[in-house]
Amino acid sequence: MTKKTDEYSTKSYVPYHSPFDPCPPLQRKYYSTPPNLYIGFQPRNLQQFSPIEALKKGTLWTPFYDYYENPYKK
Amino acid sequence: MNKPLPKEYYTQLEEIQAIDFTLYELALYLDTHPSDSQAIQQYNQCAVYCKQLKAQFESTFGPLQFGSPNTNQQEWTWNSGPWPWQI
Repeated sequence: MTKKTDEYSTKSYVPYHSPFDPCPPLQRKYYSTPPNLYIGFQPRNLQQFSPIEALKKGTLWTPFYDYYENPYKK
Repeated sequence: MNKPLPKEYYTQLEEIQAIDFTLYELALYLDTHPSDSQAIQQYNQCAVYCKQLKAQFESTFGPLQFGSPNTNQQEWTWNSGPWPWQI
């Protein structure tokens, strides 16, 4: 499995932190946008996963697969 | 069901599941690309292969779903297989 760090898979921003925040704030917040947002109408002849792999990844088409790892995990 | 299921039961079942998933993905693709002959060809290949796998599975482990033929001529196998929660 290749770790995907494309320009669009994970994004982050730093929210405002109040000096009176009662809890320790998350310094940086993360979100990710799925690749299908940037593909538009599906082109023909996209690369495919093998059936067993497709079942595990949840999609048959490699460009639609988005690797996810919890960015908050310590 | 008392005896544990053989390993092939699970590998074959997983293969069937994977091919079924591929079929659904191709069907969804073909819904929006109805004139992609290459994909239609792949879909048909997968469908035939899926049928083969299911026939092979049913001949050794009993019926997968209601309505599939009883392969054992001497004994009714519908109620003897493992229940879904025993797999």
